[in-house]
Amino acid sequence: MAERPEDLNLPNAVITRIIKEALPDGVNVSKEARKAISQAASIFVLYATSCANNFAMKAKRKTLNAGDVMSAMEEMEFERFLQPLRQALEAYKKGQKGKKEASEQKRKEKKNITDENDKSRDEEEDEHMDDEQEGENEGEEEDVEN
Amino acid sequence: MAATESAAPAESELDRGGAEDEPRGAEPEEDAGTGQAGPIAAAQQHRLAKLPLSRIKSLMKADPDVSLASQESVFIIAKATELFVEMIAKDALVYAQQGKRKTLQRKDLDNAIEAIDEFAFLEGTLD
Repeated sequence: MAERPEDLNLPNAVITRIIKEALPDGVNVSKEARKAISQAASIFVLYATSCANNFAMKAKRKTLNAGDVMSAMEEMEFERFLQPLRQALEAYKKGQKGKKEASEQKRKEKKNITDENDKSRDEEEDEHMDDEQEGENEGEEEDVEN
Repeated sequence: MAATESAAPAESELDRGGAEDEPRGAEPEEDAGTGQAGPIAAAQQHRLAKLPLSRIKSLMKADPDVSLASQESVFIIAKATELFVEMIAKDALVYAQQGKRKTLQRKDLDNAIEAIDEFAFLEGTLD
């Protein structure tokens, strides 16, 4: 579908939520204002991407990276974003690392299933529990085979 | 955003063997990582960014000069966009308040865009 880039809108519900959380209670936002903000956000993405890409190209890289985006923010005069963005990036990287190690661990896990798959995970989602149960089952099967 | 608790699963380097060498910070959630970190990490990423990364990525790819973008860059742009939305909403609010209104209207956006340098790139772009 050859849509104009501007047609790639961001989800209204999320945009609305972000707006509401930024404004004090009791403040409303008209539909037109919301729509305009959403459009502005899309344009922001395009502009930031273009800017960041310039940095990547200057460095003769084909892949846009986080550093390029940071440079773009500075260029666009959004220095105020840099600090929170750096923090968010750290947290994101940790999450990514966990994901990778988790899939490796999972393979090891299948061989070494122990009951230690703790129920102390209760602070996290229920998905957790479900996975644990699955893990344990698989473990048992392997034990039987052994 | 609950980014802090996400630290735990990342430390999944701890072996099942038991020795949790490094109790990371205040959360000795060692076993966290194993297997479960998949859905957790995914969930955490969803918590870290409110805007869907897939949509952000589509927007980025709309630029013909962009060949590839790292996952991190997509995430950072998503995050920056959230900050942008917060910022423009707050700046526009000032104009609504000047007009003694409690409802943000389109014209408040227009005023903010005109007045604030950082928003200059938006001039003439909105419908």
